[in-house]
Amino acid sequence: MSTRKPNDYKSELKPIWCPGCGDFGVLASLYRSMADMDLDPSKTVIVSGIGCSSRLPHFASTYGVHTLHGRPLPVAMGVKLANPELTVIAVGGDGDGFAIGAGHFPHASRRNIDVTYLVMDNEIYGLTKGQASPTSLFEQKAPSTPFGNPEDPLNPLALAIAAGASFVARGASFNTKALTELITQAVEHKGFSYIDAMSPCTTFNNTQESWKDAVTDVAPDHDPTDRVKAFDLALRGGFSLGILYRQERTTQTERYKAILEQAKPSDVNVMLDGFNARKGAAIGKPA
Amino acid sequence: MSARNSVVVRLAGESGEGVISCGDILTQAAARGGYYTQTFRTFPAEIKGGPCMYQFRLSDEPIWSHGKDVDLLVCFNQEAWDLNWDSLGPEGVILYDSVEVTIPDEYLDRARPVRMDELAKEIGGSTRAKNMVAAGAITAVIDFDTTPIEELVLRRYAHKEGVADANIAALHAGADESADLAGRYPLVPPVEVEEDRMLISGNQAIAVGAVAAGVNYFAGYPITPASDILEWLSVRLPQVGGLTIQCEDEIASLASVVGASYTGAKAMTATSGPGISLMNELIGYAGTAEIPLVIVDAQRGGPSTGLPTKTEQSDLNQALYGSHGEAPRVVIAPVSVEDCFYSIVDAFNYAEEYQVPVILLTDQGLATRLEVIHRPDPDALNIVTRRTSAGIAREDYKRYEYTDTGVSPMGLPGEPNGMYVATGIEHDEYGHPGYTPEIHLGMQTKRLGKLEPVRETSRVATHGEAQPEDIAFIGFGSTFGPVREAVDRLREQGLSVGAFYPRVLGPFPASRVEAFVANATRIIVPEVNYTGQLARLIKAETSINDLESVAKCDGLPFTAEAIMDLAAQEVAA
Repeated sequence: MSTRKPNDYKSELKPIWCPGCGDFGVLASLYRSMADMDLDPSKTVIVSGIGCSSRLPHFASTYGVHTLHGRPLPVAMGVKLANPELTVIAVGGDGDGFAIGAGHFPHASRRNIDVTYLVMDNEIYGLTKGQASPTSLFEQKAPSTPFGNPEDPLNPLALAIAAGASFVARGASFNTKALTELITQAVEHKGFSYIDAMSPCTTFNNTQESWKDAVTDVAPDHDPTDRVKAFDLALRGGFSLGILYRQERTTQTERYKAILEQAKPSDVNVMLDGFNARKGAAIGKPA
Repeated sequence: MSARNSVVVRLAGESGEGVISCGDILTQAAARGGYYTQTFRTFPAEIKGGPCMYQFRLSDEPIWSHGKDVDLLVCFNQEAWDLNWDSLGPEGVILYDSVEVTIPDEYLDRARPVRMDELAKEIGGSTRAKNMVAAGAITAVIDFDTTPIEELVLRRYAHKEGVADANIAALHAGADESADLAGRYPLVPPVEVEEDRMLISGNQAIAVGAVAAGVNYFAGYPITPASDILEWLSVRLPQVGGLTIQCEDEIASLASVVGASYTGAKAMTATSGPGISLMNELIGYAGTAEIPLVIVDAQRGGPSTGLPTKTEQSDLNQALYGSHGEAPRVVIAPVSVEDCFYSIVDAFNYAEEYQVPVILLTDQGLATRLEVIHRPDPDALNIVTRRTSAGIAREDYKRYEYTDTGVSPMGLPGEPNGMYVATGIEHDEYGHPGYTPEIHLGMQTKRLGKLEPVRETSRVATHGEAQPEDIAFIGFGSTFGPVREAVDRLREQGLSVGAFYPRVLGPFPASRVEAFVANATRIIVPEVNYTGQLARLIKAETSINDLESVAKCDGLPFTAEAIMDLAAQEVAA
């Protein structure tokens, strides 16, 4: 039985988001999920990039790293590798994760870093006032795409599955109960767990009502361990909420632990011996 | 000819002909035989083919530069001669492959054909042992005992039957080839010493020094000439409970170093100029979030892809000022291979003490050359660890608290009272975002001001007069060796000369530099770049205006002779 309440995870700072912003729902779900898991705040690190949603660590009373635009994943990887005891949750937006930071996403996926990545996807740049993002729709009008967006959107879920993420799910800020459960499953999953959280920007791209109408649950008979079916589901139009893909695979943390266990213990003096050039000294292994 | 205390040997050939391994084995044998040695190499930027060169200098005394005039030039092919003949000293001897190389008539009286290909084929059935024939020919000319070479060959080919024997036979056959030149450059026998010495490169000294400093997280991305730090630590860090990871780029490397250090790890990366360019935004972040970390920049010729396999000291500005805004950092430049070991320890100590990013500037020459050094004693090192929030009550804890030193206690995950959010956004003492004039000025003062004591306390490499009256040399990094050697020679000529090499260039020890030059007639600032970055720094940071900036931009290190020429030029004028 959990002893901590969602409010225990709130910091003294109040979110700076616009009224109605989907990120409130995501944050509420995160608080509730952390309480459900009874996470020790001092052993939890929330890592973010830059953007509206990346302010999130400041609103949680855990450890946090508010990094640079696009860089939460490699920072989160360093945190987890250096201290595997910690629960590490990376958060950010679609611009942070799939434009400037897109180079890190497939590598986090293929490495199966033991980190949960929660992306608040609003299909727009909010903090810089409404420009098109990598998940903005074709022909979408925005200040930077006055003639309509000439580009097709990226499909982060398909990308995650293709690149080797071992947990891929979609949730929505307006369905906090389901999102809470998804976050819990993602954090408890061993390896890289990615959640695309639909989180409407009520100021610059208010998709709230249309998204509410468009979402469906992943069919109960969907087999999330079937990668091809998961890929198919991710590529299909529409918004299926739930777990698209789940795989059991050794994590990066486990693989490095194995390297550590296989390493022959040494120390700096032995390493210095490898360079020994004293006359008549035994020939060591080449340093 | 009487025995000499210094010999410069240059091997040249095509990459893949065994030039490098020949140089390596001779250098190792010399070091094990009790000599001091320093190597100098050029590499082709291509993987296969291309001309390569390996120079080494041997002496019974410590060596401070790789030497200018080659005493013994060994040419594996015609191009080797064509590219290297002008390095030959006035009395230098040439050994060349009897089939592949034609030597101009005017050099024939001091050139000796060696049947490198032919003998190698005769003995081993292929030209593979060609380099050992060359090695043998060299040993005869300089009166060098072949025993340590044979030991190394036996060790290297212990698992390959017959190969060691063939190599040793080739070695002896080569020695016979040049037997008539025996004693042409007799090297004095090495002094018997009891102290422990090592043969090590700058990159290796940094890697093992980092282990001595307690590094337990390394992330990097392959780049010439820094990759061997990544490779060496990949094997060694797990042996001391640490971890090395190759990342998808330099940004991810440094970002993961930030994450690791955030948890309390001693974390570092190593790269070259192009990598530092990519890391600049994160350097500003680490400075602002006050995350300790170490970045090694093995400088190469720039800008852009530039000269990946040549040396240059052109990242000084980038190291000092890179990243937008005004971001704190410490910039260290070791002056020798031995100093690389102590400087990486300094780097971690500064990082931990001041909670800042530290950039260690070496260069291709220093990073890749082998040098005999005195074995460091890891137990004698002073190792600093960061100030943490341990023992502070939750309600009293402020991550970015204003303190007398400007250094605040760092909370580490797992510590219940130290929770905070590290951030690059301007913030108050709690780490909460805040943009008031008071906060920004207060925090900039704290972050930049905390480093001020370093100006007065940083280590400096000096040689010669403490306050020279004739010539004062100021420089940084690897030019110290040739300058040191030149200082000795100039003082023998009766001049009052000294060298002052700040190891820490940022924050700059301005008043100490001013004191050093107080009585000097001439101030010479040699550096390997185009714009004279150190000279500009001195002018900006000190009251010194009248200095001679000698910026050399040819991808090659200074020689002691070139420094002597600088000193002589104006005397003649």
